Amino acid sequence: MTDMASPDSNVRKDGFAKRHGRGLTGLLLVAAPVILLGWLIIYPIFNAVARTLFVNSDAGASFSLDTYQRFFTDSYSLANLWLTLWVTVVCAALLMAICLPLALYLRFAKSRIAAVVQGLALFPMFVPSVILAYALIRTIGPNGGVDLVLNAIGLPKINSPYLTPWGPVIGLVWDNIPLTTLMLVAGLGGVSDNAVEAARDAGARHVALLRHIILPQIGNAMLVVLSFTVLSIFSAFTLPYVLGPASPEMMGPFMQRTFSQVQDTRMAVTQAVITFVICAGFGAFYVRSIAKNREARQ
Amino acid sequence: MTSQISRRGFLKTAAVSSATLAMPRIALAADGFVNVYTGSDSNISDFWTNVILPGFRNVNGDAKVRVVDAGDGAGLRAIADRAMAALGTSNDPQVDVFEAYTPDQTTGSIEAGLWINFAAADMEGWDKVNPAAKQTDFDLPYRGSQVLLAYDATRVSPEDAPKTWDEMTAWIHANPGQFVYNRPDKGGSGGNFVRRAIHEANGRDPQKFTLDNYSEAYANDTLPGAWGLLKALAPSLYEAGAYTSGNTQSIQLLAQGVVTMTPVWSDQVLQALSMGVLPETTGLVQLQDLALCGGFSRITVPTNATHKDVAMQLANYVLSEEVQSKIITELGGFPGVSWDYVDTALREKYKDVIPASIPTFPGGDWDAAINDGWYRNVAPGISRG
Repeated sequence: MTDMASPDSNVRKDGFAKRHGRGLTGLLLVAAPVILLGWLIIYPIFNAVARTLFVNSDAGASFSLDTYQRFFTDSYSLANLWLTLWVTVVCAALLMAICLPLALYLRFAKSRIAAVVQGLALFPMFVPSVILAYALIRTIGPNGGVDLVLNAIGLPKINSPYLTPWGPVIGLVWDNIPLTTLMLVAGLGGVSDNAVEAARDAGARHVALLRHIILPQIGNAMLVVLSFTVLSIFSAFTLPYVLGPASPEMMGPFMQRTFSQVQDTRMAVTQAVITFVICAGFGAFYVRSIAKNREARQ
Repeated sequence: MTSQISRRGFLKTAAVSSATLAMPRIALAADGFVNVYTGSDSNISDFWTNVILPGFRNVNGDAKVRVVDAGDGAGLRAIADRAMAALGTSNDPQVDVFEAYTPDQTTGSIEAGLWINFAAADMEGWDKVNPAAKQTDFDLPYRGSQVLLAYDATRVSPEDAPKTWDEMTAWIHANPGQFVYNRPDKGGSGGNFVRRAIHEANGRDPQKFTLDNYSEAYANDTLPGAWGLLKALAPSLYEAGAYTSGNTQSIQLLAQGVVTMTPVWSDQVLQALSMGVLPETTGLVQLQDLALCGGFSRITVPTNATHKDVAMQLANYVLSEEVQSKIITELGGFPGVSWDYVDTALREKYKDVIPASIPTFPGGDWDAAINDGWYRNVAPGISRG
């Protein structure tokens, strides 16, 4: 950057040197985040994997898979993993069902109300999850706001989701609406008005329009959205901790408890590695779809 | 060339700014403050800041004391690890007093000599400490609190409130969905309820459990009976076996009229009553066959603390009649010293409410065994529809 601006660079006629200099600046600029990434993320990952695989004893380090074996033969741990997967799948499905219509509306509506709806859809982004958790207890919790209203008009109370797996599901869906909607709207930005209008002129109905014109074009965006929500829900902590049942636990609270309460750090790291491997699978989806997207553009 | 200079300039600026970032740390270590780290709730850190420290100024007017909130036990453990790492080096551990900490939470710290031995330290207050509350010579129990049952007195009359474990069990089964306790690792009210079940399953003898007698075999011998008792309760609990995630959440369910009875910490429920969180029609009852366990919060002082002398002065002051009486009146807690060392008028006033002894349950390895055992054996319960 500075090379271009500096008067000196005019003297340097050599294209290679110039390119070389710019390359160096670029490398220096990315060096900081890359070093941080390596130090704070990549290194701990390998460190964690190594700590679960090698046991230090008096005889020296030896290879062992015992914690993994313990995890996968322990029905309690497996129940926690299944619950986490279940919550993730249910949340992802609900998020798609809620956010896709919302995003379609925001993309195609031109009215003023759309701006209000957009504002409302982004609102959850600014509410910290601890606040959200307690607010949900006060509203849909037992004898909460909803029950009071229902009671006032003579209807029976709701079957409160507080302390059941549905508690964190409701909280997590609410919490993830803004990001999901934003990414879907961005994906829908690639669908041209012309294509939609042409299809309409040809007599396509709403469903046909969605199936044949819109969905094929935003498939990539949906994949990105899914991998993002899966990653954030899988690692959720606060909402499952406050709203969820005591057992089975989601992996976030389970890891924390194993680490600080049971004080079995090796087991906690093993749980983290297993969680990480599953998340990495979804991460690979994301990376692949981005790469495919680039190829398609070139 | 300019680019080179600007790059160098950039590096220089970066170096300077990172040095500035590091500065407060260095300044903090040398600012002469005595650091008290607490892992307790805000009512306790308020008590230190507003009651103990102003009073301490009369004892030592020059000392500057700062109360730091470490968040919870895990936060304190991290600070203790730092002190442990600094042991034997010239580094300042930057901590002088731990509030609500026990030496066994840092593995090997007693053997390494991290903690001051209060018994050997020729400390005037040590002999006043309630012998029943003492655990090791390295921790100083200074305030206690017991777990009681709180109930909605508009639905249960004080005469019908359960006074033994069996009466309580019968009440829970007769009123399904009206009782809740929190997960044992998330708060002491549920934690000590679970420990009371362990006492119940082992002949109601608290002496059977000590800090040193933990072994996996002994735990396998004594704990499953309690899991059986608690599992049998589960179908009649709130939502047929739901457990709140903390002391406060249990009080919240009681306040919202969702449940009728729940175990609570004495100091927390007294505060909730005085703040109006719980209505005045809230009743309190203690089991008479064997009280629900209580616990003592303990002070520890690392041997490598920079202001060790002030820290010991402070610990001694906390055991004075002045502070111990205020623990009763302002905190709703129990004194850490024997009742003989508390203001006579107070002793008279509270003699009916406060039992002569509070059964306690040792921490250490028992904690992990009980908490994890509960999660694995009791929490899953029967599947809830």
